[in-house]
Amino acid sequence: MIKTILLKELSIYIRNLNSVFLPLIFFFLIISIFPLVLGPDKVLLNKIIPGVIWITAILTTLLISNNFFKEDFNSGIIEIYLTSESSIELILFLRIISCWIFTCLPIIIFIPIVSLLFEIPFSSSIILVFTLLLGTPILISIGLFGSALTLGLSRNNILTPILIIPFYIPVLVFSASAIESVSIGLPYYSQIYILLALLMLILPTMPYLLKYTLEFSINN
Amino acid sequence: MNISTIANLKFFYIKTKNISLFLSIITLILFIIGLYWGLFIAPPDYLQGNSYRIMFIHVPAAWLSLQVYIIMAVTAFIALVWRVKIMEIISIQCAPIGGLFTLIALVTGMIWGKPTWGTYWVWDARLTSELILLFLYIGVIILYSAFTDKRQAVKVTSILAIIGLINIPIIHFSVEWWNTLHQGPTVTKFEKPSAHISMLLPLLYMLFVFNMCFITILLKRIRLGIFQREKNTKWAEDYLND
Amino acid sequence: MESLKISVNSATCYKNNSVIFSDINISLKNSEIIIIMGSNGCGKTTLIKSISGIQNLDSGEIKLNNKNIATIGSDFKEEIVYVGHKNSLNNDLTTIENLEYLSAFDSTTDISNTANIRNLMKNLNIEKYKNYRVSDISEGNKKKISLMRLLLTKKKIWLLDEPMSYLDDESINMLINIFIEHQKKGGLIFLTTHYDFSKKINACKVYTMKDAELT
Repeated sequence: MIKTILLKELSIYIRNLNSVFLPLIFFFLIISIFPLVLGPDKVLLNKIIPGVIWITAILTTLLISNNFFKEDFNSGIIEIYLTSESSIELILFLRIISCWIFTCLPIIIFIPIVSLLFEIPFSSSIILVFTLLLGTPILISIGLFGSALTLGLSRNNILTPILIIPFYIPVLVFSASAIESVSIGLPYYSQIYILLALLMLILPTMPYLLKYTLEFSINN
Repeated sequence: MNISTIANLKFFYIKTKNISLFLSIITLILFIIGLYWGLFIAPPDYLQGNSYRIMFIHVPAAWLSLQVYIIMAVTAFIALVWRVKIMEIISIQCAPIGGLFTLIALVTGMIWGKPTWGTYWVWDARLTSELILLFLYIGVIILYSAFTDKRQAVKVTSILAIIGLINIPIIHFSVEWWNTLHQGPTVTKFEKPSAHISMLLPLLYMLFVFNMCFITILLKRIRLGIFQREKNTKWAEDYLND
Repeated sequence: MESLKISVNSATCYKNNSVIFSDINISLKNSEIIIIMGSNGCGKTTLIKSISGIQNLDSGEIKLNNKNIATIGSDFKEEIVYVGHKNSLNNDLTTIENLEYLSAFDSTTDISNTANIRNLMKNLNIEKYKNYRVSDISEGNKKKISLMRLLLTKKKIWLLDEPMSYLDDESINMLINIFIEHQKKGGLIFLTTHYDFSKKINACKVYTMKDAELT
């Protein structure tokens, strides 16, 4: 069953390459506006770019996850999930993972290029990629939770971000702190460990929470 | 919606009418006493002078903002697990009250900040946490108001409130972490004053008064919530006509 | 053959303070079909969702062999197939891929026998859409694809919400024959429709839903 679902997710993303490329393009677009607003001052940009990348990552994951369940809800597949004897938690887990692989991973792969453009030192760049690897699955999971919460609403475009951005704060704080620490030569391991702990906490529990929330959202 | 729970809500609504009025009067008197105590009897602070007196509002409001969130989440949990209707109403009616306390804590904190730090806002850990708490409250309130089916709204908001409660310590921890990393010189000036007993007593008293305020407003809001939910039932119509 | 019995006991459901249905009692045994009819918005869908366990009741209970479905959970889900009013197909996948995907949610479905599937599709006149993306297929044919789940599963209890919408007369007759076949195997069918076909089938009970009650 796992194989079937993963293969289908793969074909859906491959046939819909827009859903892979649009987040990537959006990410680069937002990053490239910052120098236009702040001026081409290399020192300033270099100082703030890790923060900019993280804020942009948050905006991108918000857009990715905002209407994640809407299409499934409209097509009726969520009703099939909830009336099926298969483990819905497993299905939801696989969907979180595949969503991350096809939308966030491409962005992370392109981070070294961004680092080149903004002359981020190699050590900071490595940590930036590392925090994104650990942080974006958390962001996606929380985003999907927000999407499930507002599933019963017809208009939820700006509501979901308002609900879930406060939950993003810990991830943001520890990631930014890790990058800042490495740039001024302080130890950064504890922040990475905390991010890892958050990931380990959220990833296994989120499918159960999602299932519970979807049940309530469908039930009207 | 079986007979016993309707009777229960009805019972609660009718029985609490006089209690609610009584509580309002008592709380108002207690509040005036507290204000007089805090503003005129308590001695001025040797460092901050009279400006510290806003603490008698700020500290209880900040305390209540957190306490109300905990109450909201716990009642939400009870409502979800055991499907107790009155708990649903209590939980959702806590949100605007808690949001109000958070707002009071923020505004008084800013007013206090001007003479203490020389500026209305500093990104210190406590103020920032309080601001995030306000956003959490706003989230709960708007999520509830977005649904037209209020019974579904209650369920979905309950989940959000519970998850929010789990997150508050994590958010607080992260904000503390962030703050120690970026600590400026102004923040250390505002250390917890080793309060003298003549200041501590009115503070504790005000905490009690704020709790009374909370209970009074909550009772009024619960009655409102019951009425909104039951307005189509026969007893509510009969009650209005009497 | 295992004997199955679904009973709905004094089921009541509210939405937005207004009653959808109240105090509904029906039961369904092997080889029986229940048809729920009624005008739009009368609560047929909510009733069938309640029976499939998606919708919670405000009071009353749904029982499978005298056990409440809320307590037996996945044991109940192992017995039912729910085909909703929506087609539950993914627009980016082809017909075959959609059937494969849907079979992942039903352990009794065997999708490996391709000859069998081709045969079934031929009977339903949708064979040529086998490798079409679902977004390019008409609504009626989408409905047939989603109903194909019924032909592939071995589950006994079918809960169908408006299975006949979008279908032409010929397909409706085909569907009725499928129902009769299922009935012969001892299956139970619970469905909502606007089309009264009870005369064509034995052991078929028709209820009409009106003003929150079944008659």
